[in-house]
Amino acid sequence: MTAVAGGRRRRLARESLAGYAFLSPNLVLLGLFVIVPLISAVVISFQRTDGFGAGTFTGLDNYSRLATDPVFWQSTFNTALFTAIVTPASMLLGLGAAVLMNSVLPARGLFRSILILPMAISGVATALIGVLVFDQNNGVLDKLLKFVGLPPVEWQSGGAAAFASVVIVTLWWRVGFNMLIYLAGLQGISPELYEAARLDGAGGWQRFRFVTVPLVGPSSFFLLIMNVIYSFQVFDIVFVLTGGGPQNATSVLVTYAYNNGFVTRDQGYAAAIGVVLLVITLVFTAVQWRVSRTRDLVD
Amino acid sequence: MELTRRQILIGAGVASLPLLLAGCGFAPPATQAPAGGSTGSGGAATGTLTFTTWGTDAELAGFRSAIDRFQQANPGATVTLNAVPYAQMFTNIDAQLQAGNPPDVFRVPYYTFGSYAGRGQLLDLSSYLPSGFSDAFTPAAWAAVQNSSTPYGVPHHTDTSVILYNKAALDSAGITSVPTTLDDAWSWDEFQTVLQTLRGSLPADKYPYAANWQGNGVTRWLSWLFESDGKFLETDLVTPAIDSDAGRQAVDFTKNFFSSNFVPQNNSVKSTTLASDIWYSQTSAMVSAGAFLIPDATSTLDFEWGATFSPRNVRSAGDFGGNALVATKATANPELASAFLQFVTQEEEMSQFCASASLLPTRADLTASGIDFAVRPELSPVFVGQASSVQAKDSGQVTSPNMSKIITVLQDQLEQAFVGGQSTADTLAAMTSGISTATAGS
Repeated sequence: MTAVAGGRRRRLARESLAGYAFLSPNLVLLGLFVIVPLISAVVISFQRTDGFGAGTFTGLDNYSRLATDPVFWQSTFNTALFTAIVTPASMLLGLGAAVLMNSVLPARGLFRSILILPMAISGVATALIGVLVFDQNNGVLDKLLKFVGLPPVEWQSGGAAAFASVVIVTLWWRVGFNMLIYLAGLQGISPELYEAARLDGAGGWQRFRFVTVPLVGPSSFFLLIMNVIYSFQVFDIVFVLTGGGPQNATSVLVTYAYNNGFVTRDQGYAAAIGVVLLVITLVFTAVQWRVSRTRDLVD
Repeated sequence: MELTRRQILIGAGVASLPLLLAGCGFAPPATQAPAGGSTGSGGAATGTLTFTTWGTDAELAGFRSAIDRFQQANPGATVTLNAVPYAQMFTNIDAQLQAGNPPDVFRVPYYTFGSYAGRGQLLDLSSYLPSGFSDAFTPAAWAAVQNSSTPYGVPHHTDTSVILYNKAALDSAGITSVPTTLDDAWSWDEFQTVLQTLRGSLPADKYPYAANWQGNGVTRWLSWLFESDGKFLETDLVTPAIDSDAGRQAVDFTKNFFSSNFVPQNNSVKSTTLASDIWYSQTSAMVSAGAFLIPDATSTLDFEWGATFSPRNVRSAGDFGGNALVATKATANPELASAFLQFVTQEEEMSQFCASASLLPTRADLTASGIDFAVRPELSPVFVGQASSVQAKDSGQVTSPNMSKIITVLQDQLEQAFVGGQSTADTLAAMTSGISTATAGS
């Protein structure tokens, strides 16, 4: 018995060792490229530094500057507004597209590919296409508006229109990803449930509302978290499409941090903005995790 | 020995790790000094240098040719060119400097030069350059590579903006001649009349002019200030000096471009649409542009176009664009780095580089004799003439170590003035306050 127990222990130890061996490359990379920079950023956020040589420790100065910086607050508001619009919109459009692609829509393979295609393109390339579309002098969209007799929109010099252009390009880029996740969720729902609902007299909307929506709950939870994090981290599309302008109307936290860190070279202040962003994201994720974790158990 | 799949995977993983980590780097670091690697007195320079730059095809070809000739002239010397996209250039140079492994030599715009020179990142060339070396350059060019009266680089070339015009658009407005000498350049009043005439003849969705002050090009707005004989910094490079009559004239005049619809509304300083693209698409009749644009414009445009001088107010002026070449303080072979910098600024080298890449020389002899661009050589005198209007007191201000912060101040406040309705007085007051904050502690 003792020999058997000892052998089992050795086998378990070997398995644990193998597990850690498999994990270790990821842990090393995670530590090197995420944890170390994260801790460094927190340390730098308490300093005044242009990046060259040792910084000067300034305590909470950078954080108190944030409190009185109107561009920081505008960027925070823009980021929150962007997240509040893009997250539900991309999820709703993604779910709608997934339901269509999961049905007997003709040529759905083609449509799926078209919707997923933007995912294969980098954010910068997507934004460059956006520049061609939303150029207010020669862009495709304004030419189209003029062609149908509508007044052109000042996509670049009008604050609200510029913000809308960023939202539209982001949705174009992100709906495919949302659709893909929902499609996977939908394909896991048993057809018998729909049949049972139909026998119970449920109409199309009721089947969607009371069968589909609850059963794609885990997908929705995952997408909610991912969309919020992506939205808070939006950078490339804003940077290329509007540069944060006009008059900071599309400035978001990451573009503002980038400008401070790499244009103005005020790296301590930029790190403080980054830390604020990290805290906001962590708080949101923690709240969502607590509130929604039972939804993970559905199905 | 027979290998299992696990052993192969582990082996491949271990082998690829150094490559993966090396891939996170950017370029070869500054070379280690080889034994005896230096310039002997009177002898050829030896050793290895790394040189990081961005560039157009013509510029990179020019650098490669210059490196070949340098290596031929200095057997035993090797220069490794590391060409990178401009967008990544300075975030990566900064990272390399911070990590202590910068290249030996790199290229830097004059308005960024001060950020490095003023923070102890560049090699003080005083003891490596022969006496009288500075005499070869125009005073404006030599002033642009100084920090506290010490040279930290060599002025490799410059560029400045002139006005490129669409001939048909001007003809249709009845403007059949443009100034052909710097002295005859349009005054601001005459330029305003030209803009009004064009505005009257063009449809609403076309514009008389587009200014090239987007992004870091906001330093080109300073030309309007210099044309009014103004300045944004006192000679100490710390005290703001923009709140002046010249500053008021410059802000008023350029604000008027937007309120009078002389430029498209998306031609402001923070726009992501470049002025050249506005002109290329014939949305504007004229554009301010540097000589570097000539090859692209010549091969791209299918309309007839020409160049004339930028307008003058109290005097003619221009932006001191272009780039310096600098050696990093960390270089292990300062003699070789200095020899390379001296080589590429020799008369023949600079002439070849500037002619082939459509850029302007910084040497006084070449400025006096002129150069012929490989493409549209008849436009060379306009650009060379305009560059001669840049004064050392103008270019010297741009070398402020705090220029990157001042650029942000200019961008923020000009954006507010141009498209945010901010008054000229408020704009100048905010610029003064911003510049003061930017230079505090210097």
